[in-house]
Amino acid sequence: MSVLKRVQQWATFARIWHLYDAAWQNPFYSAELLKKYLMGAHKPIYHPMNDCGDHVIVINSSDIALPGDEWKKRVYFHHTGYPGGASWTLAWELHKKDPTLVLKKAVYNSMDGNLQRRYTMERLHIFPDANVPSNLLSNISNQIKQLRPKPKRLDEYTEKEIQEFPKLIDLPKNHILR
Amino acid sequence: MVFTTVINFVRARGPDEIWRKRRIFKLAAHFIGRRRNCYSIAVRNVHRALVYATKGRKLKREDMANLWETRVRAGCEQHNISYESFREGLARCNILLNRRTLADLACWEPYSFKSLTDIAKRRTLDDGLAGINADKYLDRIITRGSLNTEK
Repeated sequence: MSVLKRVQQWATFARIWHLYDAAWQNPFYSAELLKKYLMGAHKPIYHPMNDCGDHVIVINSSDIALPGDEWKKRVYFHHTGYPGGASWTLAWELHKKDPTLVLKKAVYNSMDGNLQRRYTMERLHIFPDANVPSNLLSNISNQIKQLRPKPKRLDEYTEKEIQEFPKLIDLPKNHILR
Repeated sequence: MVFTTVINFVRARGPDEIWRKRRIFKLAAHFIGRRRNCYSIAVRNVHRALVYATKGRKLKREDMANLWETRVRAGCEQHNISYESFREGLARCNILLNRRTLADLACWEPYSFKSLTDIAKRRTLDDGLAGINADKYLDRIITRGSLNTEK
């Protein structure tokens, strides 16, 4: 094997680290997207028995957006195994306990339940905010595009930007704004 | 039926039992435990295995088709074209490659696959299909469709 071919093989099978910003994203649609990168299904060399999955670092998981009234309606079930050990946790309660769990479970449930799933999940690193350890951050070489753009709130604009925003009408001086 | 000779009353049906069982045991040779040594258990498991084999012939085709499609989708995604537009563009250019060939090209011949995506993109642009963004690089690619539109 020539030097070029050897390096080509390393490059082909190297694990890439991706960054995904989960702010204002639907975790269940994001899970379908992240699953592809974790399993390596975004590579033409994909095979279920080929260990070609990548790492994904998810930031801002505390800012995920559930559709509709799912924060109140979605229920996570857990059973301890003992009689009467069943418990049901609402999505907002789970999110308050651990802001990474809703997304983690969404990714876990989007994958088929086989022996590889636990190892694939090991490659998913979720952080509730943008504070990522620098040893992980230094590996990142790609960013996954968000499913939808994050809207900017009015209080995130500076005073100058608000003033310079083109006005449609000039309200009269004596107009009362309630 | 009238039996004219005594020899016909001898109890002998079909081929010898040993050979009949041997046929089953040969199929059960790679099983584990009693299912390869005891006939009554072996024959049950051989029947089950043959049913699995029959079903598996179809499942294998489906699994391979799914794998090829996954690979071609991955290849298309790298070149910013959706799988559907890609196949439609190729079909309109009369490039009739099947999923298996496309997957092999995506896996082993990435540059050939890229040229295919370029042709498909050019063709979908020329025919005005949705979901394709114009790319300056595509200007030097000529398909039969783009020749016709220039006339």
